[in-house]
Amino acid sequence: MIEVIIPVRCFTCGALIGDKWEDFKRRVDEGEDPGKVLDDLGVKRYCCRRMLLSHIDLIYEAITFTKPS
Amino acid sequence: MKINVLYRDEKILKIMIEDVRLEYINSLRRIMIAEVPTMAIEDVLVLDNTSVLYDEIIAHRLGLIPLTTVYDRYGSPEGCADKELASSPECAVRLYLDVEAGENGYRIVYSGDLKSEDPDVRPTSDRIPIAVLGRGQRLALEAYARLGRGKEHAKWSPVTVAAFKYKPIININEDLCVLCGKCVEVCPRKVLELKEDKIVVLNVLDCNLCKSCEEACEFDAIKISWNENTLAFTLESTGALKPEQIIVESTNILEKKLNTLLQFLGD
Repeated sequence: MIEVIIPVRCFTCGALIGDKWEDFKRRVDEGEDPGKVLDDLGVKRYCCRRMLLSHIDLIYEAITFTKPS
Repeated sequence: MKINVLYRDEKILKIMIEDVRLEYINSLRRIMIAEVPTMAIEDVLVLDNTSVLYDEIIAHRLGLIPLTTVYDRYGSPEGCADKELASSPECAVRLYLDVEAGENGYRIVYSGDLKSEDPDVRPTSDRIPIAVLGRGQRLALEAYARLGRGKEHAKWSPVTVAAFKYKPIININEDLCVLCGKCVEVCPRKVLELKEDKIVVLNVLDCNLCKSCEEACEFDAIKISWNENTLAFTLESTGALKPEQIIVESTNILEKKLNTLLQFLGD
C-alpha cells in the first residue's frame, strides 16, 4: 500500500494506527520481527496489521522536489 | 438480564450478557456505530501551507484524528450541522497549529502540536503524524471540532469494533468418542485439546460455530449448538469515549427513540 504518509486510521475498521508507525518502523529497522512488534503494539486484526506492514513512506521523496528544498 | 465482564481495559470491553433478546442488543450495537456522538474536526481554515501535502489531504487527516469527547458544553449534532463553526463557540472547539521546519531538515507535525482551547477536547494520541515538513516549510491552520454522529461520517463513530455472538455450547458424547483427535486437528480456533482419556474444551468463547469438528467426526460424538439468549459482546473504542460511556449513551438514545414512538402512538 504505497501512500505518501502513514494513514491516520485503518481503512477497514477505523482503528487508530498512525501513532504506531514510528515505533513500528524503528523497531523493525533495528531487526525485530514485524509480527512480534505488531503484537506488542496491540495491533491485532489483520486489516490494521496490513496498514503498517505494507506501508512505504514516500513523503521524504516528494519533499526533495519542493521549494524551499 | 445478567452481565459478566470478561475483559476490560481503556479501549476494549468484552461482556457476557445472559437472558436477553438478540434484537435488543443489536439495536444497541447499531446505535453505538451510527448514533452515539463524538467530537471530530469538521472545518479547517488553512492559513499557511507550504508542505508537499494538499490542504484537502491535511484537512482529511485532521478529521480522522479521534478527539476525547465531552457532551455537557456543546450543542447537539443536529443543531450544529449547518452552523458556521468559526463563529459558534456553543457548537465548536477551536484547535490551532503553527509549525515551521528549521533550516536543518525535516520536521514531523504531530497531533500533539495541535493546541486545543478546551483541555477536555484533545487528540487521544499525541503521536499521530499529520504531515512532514521539509527545510523552511510551514504549516499553520485553525480547525473547528464539533459533535457529530457515525451515520453522517465514520470519523464520528466512537467504535471500531462493536459485535456480538451467541454463546457456543460444545457437547461431547464420551460414549461415542474414540479419541481419534480429528476434531482437535480440524478446529481453526484451536478450541479443543486431546487429553489422555477425553477431549477437553479449552475456551468455549473462542469457538466460532463453524461445525468443522462435527463434520470431521465419523461417530457423531461432538455436537455444536448455541444459547440464543446468551450473547458475548465485544466493544472496541476509538479512544474518543470510554467503552462504558458508549454503552450508557447508546441505551439513552434507544430510550429516547422509544419514547418518540410512544408519543406518536399516543397521539
